[in-house]
Amino acid sequence: MSLDATYKREIPLVEGKTSFKEIDDVIAKPTETKPNIKWWIAIGISSTALMIGAVCLGLTFWYGVGLWGNNQPVGWAFDIINFVFWIGIGHAGTLISAILFLFRQKWRTGIARFAEAMTIFAVMTAGIFPAIHTGRPWLDGYLFPYPNQHSLWVNFTSPLLWDVFAVSTYFTVSFVFWFIGLIPDFATLRDRTTSGIKKAIYTLLSLGWRGSNRHWQHYERVYLILAGLSTPLVLSVHTIVSFDFAVSVIPGWHTTIFPPYFVAGAIFSGFGMVSTVLIIVRKVFDMEHIITVNTLEKMNKILLATGTMVGYAYAMEFFIAWYSGNPIEQFTFINRAFGPYAWAYWIMFSCNVFFPQLFWFKKIRRNIPLTFVLVLLVNVGMWFERYVIIVTSLTRDYLPSSWGMYFPTMYDFGILLGSFGMFFTLVLLFAKTMPVVAMSEIKAVTEGAQPTHLKKHEEEIDYRTQY
Amino acid sequence: MIGNILKKFDDKFLKTEPRTGKLYAVSALFDTPDQIIHAAEKVSGAGYKKFDVLTPYPVHGMDGAMKLKPTGIGWVAMVAGMSGTTLAFLMIWWMVGVNYPNIFGGKPYFNLTASIPIMFELTVLISALTLVGSLIAIYMKLPFNANPLMDTEFVRRVTSDKFGIYIAADDPKFKLEEVRAMFEELGSSAVSNIHEAEYDKGKTNNPLTDKKFVGALVGTAAATAMISYFVLNVLLFLPPFDWMHRQPKVLPQTESKFFKDGWSMRKPVEGTVARGFMPYEFKGMPDSMVVATPNPLPVTQKVLDLGKKRFDTYCSPCHGFYGKGDSRMRGQFPVPPTLHSQKVTNWKDANIYHVITNGQNTMPSYQSSISRDDRWAIIHYLRVLQRSQNAPDSDVEGK
Amino acid sequence: MDYIKKQLPDSLTKTGGILLGFGVIIMGLAFIFTPQRAFFDYLWVYLFLVSIAVGSLALVALEYLVGATWSTPFRRVSEIMASMIPVLILLAIPLFFGLHDLFHWTHTEVVETDAILKAKSPYLNVEFFAIRTAFCLFLWFLFYWLITKNSEKQDIDGDVKYTKRNITLSTIFAPVFIITITIAAIDWAMSLEPHWFSTIFGVYYFAGTIIAALAATTFASIKLKEGGYMDSHLGNDSFYSLGTLMFGFNVFWAYIAFSQFILIWYADLPEETFWLIHRWEGSWKYVSLALLFFHFIMPFLILIGRNAKTNLGLLKFMAPWMLVAHALDLYWLIFPTLFKGSAAFGWQELSFPFIVIGLTMIVFKMSANKKNIMAVKDPKMEAGLHFHL
Repeated sequence: MSLDATYKREIPLVEGKTSFKEIDDVIAKPTETKPNIKWWIAIGISSTALMIGAVCLGLTFWYGVGLWGNNQPVGWAFDIINFVFWIGIGHAGTLISAILFLFRQKWRTGIARFAEAMTIFAVMTAGIFPAIHTGRPWLDGYLFPYPNQHSLWVNFTSPLLWDVFAVSTYFTVSFVFWFIGLIPDFATLRDRTTSGIKKAIYTLLSLGWRGSNRHWQHYERVYLILAGLSTPLVLSVHTIVSFDFAVSVIPGWHTTIFPPYFVAGAIFSGFGMVSTVLIIVRKVFDMEHIITVNTLEKMNKILLATGTMVGYAYAMEFFIAWYSGNPIEQFTFINRAFGPYAWAYWIMFSCNVFFPQLFWFKKIRRNIPLTFVLVLLVNVGMWFERYVIIVTSLTRDYLPSSWGMYFPTMYDFGILLGSFGMFFTLVLLFAKTMPVVAMSEIKAVTEGAQPTHLKKHEEEIDYRTQY
Repeated sequence: MIGNILKKFDDKFLKTEPRTGKLYAVSALFDTPDQIIHAAEKVSGAGYKKFDVLTPYPVHGMDGAMKLKPTGIGWVAMVAGMSGTTLAFLMIWWMVGVNYPNIFGGKPYFNLTASIPIMFELTVLISALTLVGSLIAIYMKLPFNANPLMDTEFVRRVTSDKFGIYIAADDPKFKLEEVRAMFEELGSSAVSNIHEAEYDKGKTNNPLTDKKFVGALVGTAAATAMISYFVLNVLLFLPPFDWMHRQPKVLPQTESKFFKDGWSMRKPVEGTVARGFMPYEFKGMPDSMVVATPNPLPVTQKVLDLGKKRFDTYCSPCHGFYGKGDSRMRGQFPVPPTLHSQKVTNWKDANIYHVITNGQNTMPSYQSSISRDDRWAIIHYLRVLQRSQNAPDSDVEGK
Repeated sequence: MDYIKKQLPDSLTKTGGILLGFGVIIMGLAFIFTPQRAFFDYLWVYLFLVSIAVGSLALVALEYLVGATWSTPFRRVSEIMASMIPVLILLAIPLFFGLHDLFHWTHTEVVETDAILKAKSPYLNVEFFAIRTAFCLFLWFLFYWLITKNSEKQDIDGDVKYTKRNITLSTIFAPVFIITITIAAIDWAMSLEPHWFSTIFGVYYFAGTIIAALAATTFASIKLKEGGYMDSHLGNDSFYSLGTLMFGFNVFWAYIAFSQFILIWYADLPEETFWLIHRWEGSWKYVSLALLFFHFIMPFLILIGRNAKTNLGLLKFMAPWMLVAHALDLYWLIFPTLFKGSAAFGWQELSFPFIVIGLTMIVFKMSANKKNIMAVKDPKMEAGLHFHL
């Protein structure tokens, strides 16, 4: 992508000459040692946020959703914004683990496990919001079609029901995919550990895996098929989330580009979050030579590409709103950019479209502190994207007499904070208890890991294709 | 306390006793992928069947070296996926198309377009779960922690950094010395015999006679049952919050201290007429005038269809679908009279209208439930019924 | 590698010339008897050629951009396919004589009385339309010229700097392509029904172009390989990714088409639905269903397996299939404006296959004879030839 790169041997995914044993040692280290002070500080912060969220949620259950800022005309607010935001975060994990796997992008190996875990945690966090936004989460069983006493079935024509199926399928398949990937690593940990209780747990989780090639043979094919299944699945999930909006006739929501636009935005925001977490994790757990600058640079390229796609969607929406000749659509978009929520619009626009353009420069792509700032901005921008879509369209739709403003309350912010707390708490617990990098995959792509007679031409590829 | 528990786990899972059972296999460790590929080719070439290669990651070209058949697991995904699509299609079609049809957004009861998202999701879900389930249980035959290979130095190395191969002792061509010699010759860094543990023999392998296992099974079943009962029969039927229900507002049919008459409900202002609702127009009229009022509706197919619909809804529960007084309420209720009696047949339309509007004996007023036009339409339909039940010969064609 | 340059046979030009001549005669007759219909046929031919030519250039750029190795042996074939781009500039000229027949919005007297069209006239007017067309064609030609020049220069000395230059060019071309193809889709296809609008339309056409380009490249590559014009080391595994991409983009196309359909169907707004209703009236219904079956369902089922994508016999069958499906797709986009109520396929439409096949044969041969059919000194060539699954 850049001019100043030279053709040279690919910097190995694992920097330096590393033996398999050393890979095990480095990756297993967090699971085998007592947490350091950095980890305690991090989990302290995140679990505090989680507790704040839990308290706000408890109060919500006790007093009802009237505690939130939702009111006429904005009946959908932080709950749905947060849902879409977190579901979007999850998409990057599947993209890295499935789509990049299908595209034979080897650089994904160092970060795939972590990204998959983030997918699962993000979907769990996202799942809270549709569950609570009714105010009566114990009635959520009604969302599933089961033969109930009322002899009623759910409304299969509703995109909200499609969401139920999409999100639960997405969670299940991501979880299974993740677990399948973990089995060989659990076996490695089982055979390493010096603690009886850990051995018991890892024995249970590794299912008696012993690295048999008669197993690997089927295992590899299943991994490939699961990647093939996950790829359309990940597209379908955010597509269906976009249907929640786009099948309606609310101005600014009903536009045909919503499905691919939401998917691109989801991958964009997900990569933003994965980068954010990885930059922290490689520092906290000393994994700079496994999660390398090269990997982060490639993620930055994907951020640039998806950010530009999102920009294309913004432009198309604006253009077609004008082109359609529909005065209400036209007003909605003018109102977004110059109305009372213009501040949110321009935060969204600058964070999602403008700032990622800095990634055109190789120096910036490889500058970790600057990347960190930019990916944080991406997170902010993508949260505001959903805010803009939901709030601006609902505050001012067809009837000017029904216009109003939206004011979130402290409980809304508390639950938002709590969702971040939940996500980061889960991430930190995961990083401490499970191998955050797929050991077996990393080993398979280190130098000299494959038989030489097959490797001849592939090594030539590695010499020349990395720019 | 916690220390003790941890100690117990250590004792149970970390202690390894020297194994004294019969020989299970001979294993060899190698250091490089080239060596293991070579070893696998050699072993499969020598005609051994019960051997396996154990590696920390999949080594390219090993399937060929071991002469393995290509995996057919792709078909599992394909078949399961197609079953998922079909299942979802049938489920949605039956639930909203047949069992519980409702109109949503003016769309057909069952429509394929709106079913595609869920059909897709269930395809992926069922395909993925079946695939992984069959991979673990059928293709890999796991979990299998009792394998004699477990907890040996051999497996400990091949899950980390070495490449291993073993030939099982029950292979028909197995000869201990030959196998060991072959492994040494191939340049193995460690050749070792793997024995089964002694206790393997005496211990029964049937988990159904294991108290702990059965106990866990029963416990799980009981817990699942209790949780399902609690969720389905208690949680789902908890009353909604009543503190949201109790609000400072007047409810219909309740007392009010605010209004003089003590009712919370208000009567409409005198002389107002609700939209689409006509007051009873014969009030205070002399009988002769009432009787002289004709049915304002023409006799058309449309009116008769409407009349039939309303008659079947409102009248038939007592009077029966043919107006014979033989309704499904018979025996539970004062039997209503037949509508084919001389009296009713001779009544003018307006008489019947009067009865429907104001009721008679036990029959209540239908003024509020059947609109004015519908009442007149019912009367037309009733005339049709009367004629049909007392048809003269001249009505029959050909007479 | 053992590639030796072999000239393509002259029979290609001869057959192509005959086909093209025949097609031109049909079209000429159509212009005499049914001028409006002839212009629609011409637009159909033109858009199809744009799909293959510009799609191929985008494919080349995409391969540079992601650093693909497997595609190196096929890259020159895509480049030769893209050599239709200069011809497209010439072919655009007749189109301007038919604007009045093609586009409702050029009728000034109608626009005056139609508030919506009047509101759109700052965009939909002949001058701006011409500027946009010229802009797109210029950019396509520019990038075609720059990228192929670098690629050909590399044949001489194998210098890596040309690859790097092309990577930079491809990076710039990516957004340029997306913008220009969107403009092309809106101007030449969507504005046929000037009242209708859909934000996804550019993406829809984009998906089609890539499928057409992949199918054309696959078909040409298999033919060339069979004729011994390519390196003998090129194995079936190398074709796997072409098949996979064709499969993948076909699913993507279906996804985009379904998204557009379900949203319009669900919201049920008359300002959008009429476009779909035109495509469901009378025999158009069967064209729509044929599109669903032949463009998506059947190729999906045929190409889903792993073995299907390395089976050259099957790929040689599926590649023309997808080209026909893309032609059907364009027919479905363009013609309901002309044939309201029921689809029609007369002798006038027969000009399409003759002109497209004939012209492609001639341009392909002329372009292919001027350069190597494989990028002989590309640093990734050796690895690309020995690609194994």
